[in-house]
Amino acid sequence: MSSDVLTVDSVWKRYGDHDALRDVRFSLRSGEAVGYLGPNGAGKTTTLKLLAGLSRPTRGSVRVQGLDPVEDRAAALRKVGALVETPGVPPYLTGADLLGYVADVRGIPSGERPTAVRRGAEAMNVVDHLGRPFGSLSTGLARRMLLGATLVGDPEVLLLEEPTLGLDPAARHDLRDRLRTLSRQGLTLLLSTHLVEDVQEVCGRVLFLRNGTLVGDEPVDLERDSGTGGSRRVLRLRFGPDVTAESVAGAAGPGFEVTLDGARQATVRFSGGDAEQAALLAAVVRAGLPLLSAAAPEGDLVRRYMERVGREEAT
Amino acid sequence: MTGGVDALIRNARWEITRLHRSRRVWLLLIPVVAGPIGSGIADVYLRVPSSGTAEVLGLLITAGLAALVVLDLVALAVGEDLALRTHYLTFTLPQPRASALAGRLGVVIGATLLVYVAGAIAVAGLANTLVSTSPTAAAPILVPGHLEVGLVGLLVFLGGITAAAGVVTRSASQALVAGVLAGVVAAGIGSTFLIEGRLTWLFPLALATAGLIGLVVCLIQYGRIDV
Repeated sequence: MSSDVLTVDSVWKRYGDHDALRDVRFSLRSGEAVGYLGPNGAGKTTTLKLLAGLSRPTRGSVRVQGLDPVEDRAAALRKVGALVETPGVPPYLTGADLLGYVADVRGIPSGERPTAVRRGAEAMNVVDHLGRPFGSLSTGLARRMLLGATLVGDPEVLLLEEPTLGLDPAARHDLRDRLRTLSRQGLTLLLSTHLVEDVQEVCGRVLFLRNGTLVGDEPVDLERDSGTGGSRRVLRLRFGPDVTAESVAGAAGPGFEVTLDGARQATVRFSGGDAEQAALLAAVVRAGLPLLSAAAPEGDLVRRYMERVGREEAT
Repeated sequence: MTGGVDALIRNARWEITRLHRSRRVWLLLIPVVAGPIGSGIADVYLRVPSSGTAEVLGLLITAGLAALVVLDLVALAVGEDLALRTHYLTFTLPQPRASALAGRLGVVIGATLLVYVAGAIAVAGLANTLVSTSPTAAAPILVPGHLEVGLVGLLVFLGGITAAAGVVTRSASQALVAGVLAGVVAAGIGSTFLIEGRLTWLFPLALATAGLIGLVVCLIQYGRIDV
């Protein structure tokens, strides 16, 4: 039995004489966090609409939990939270009203609804604003309340479009943190965004879309080695006190190529996956090197975005 | 899994919440309070020749007010979310869209009909209390009991046409305009039939049927909206 939770199979979507999507195909396995990058008009929103049951493909098929999200809406979307574009909410409704309605529709018993509403609001730090009408909320707070609504009922799949749009830096950080935590707990996430950092920090895999066509499907922390045609991982390590390239290379061992970018930062290239990365980090810590953080280089994903999507369209 | 009936009940509750929060719920007092009051004033200060004629007058006032209420509430129940794009969120929830809307429309149309009937009963009571029938009085132009039932057909017609217009235009304000125009046309045709002496029970029945068809069209199209 396939563990694919979301499947987009040879999908075309036509609006008038314009093809918004052209033969797009990809799938997400359970627990995957996948970024969906592309410029305005690339077809990201259209894809999310199809997966969220808001629209039907012109050709091809879309499956959520193995079901058609339009024909089998109730079953397919039972454990799906979706935030597509920016829905408006009547100004007289409160956050508690909206989250309570979502909890009700998700079949949460009335006795458990207040807890479910609170959990959704807590996830976005908007508990104190639950009683306020939407008309009195700032753009960022309203956005967080909507995100809280998508989390009501502990969905197993999240379809999010520009979730950090309009959020202040702290809220953006909290949301990314929350999404990472949920992802570690097994949530399947498709994150459509213009912000490369969102994908960099939350996702393990990235899809690039250009003019309705999928032009890339690869790990976030992958660097293609044009010399060998193979693929390698790149990790940027930041240290507290100064380190030397030799000390990092000595700790990492053979198979890891270390270059120092200043006294407190090193880039490590290696072949392999999560296991090799975990072994590298463990070795560095064991060696007593003052490791502060490890992440894929910020510039790498931006560079790949430029390569696949095009500089003039990059945002 | 949320079935159709569950969705209907849950969204009926949702509509009650919305009516309460938006304070639109107070509109429902208009037919049952203002209708009989207006009718009573007319009964006292106009030289109404019979209680039957007074009742006809009061029913027209009450139904006119109920018509405005049903137009407003139905237009907003269908068109408000579509205009604000709230459906980008609600359409992603695991429930049949048509059942969800049916629950909301059931509340607003049902509540309006209920307050109209309550207003009509009050109007009849006031007419019989405040107006004494002159022995020389002509019979009312319509049988009050028939008119009371017939006006239900008009209200269903207005609700159905407004609902269908709401889905087509995706706008509460445009649905409201469509409903008003439909009401004007219905009133014009009804008046013509009355003057020509051809007004029978078939007319309100036709109005109610058209309204029900409008509601069915609305629900089917709502379920098919491609965002």
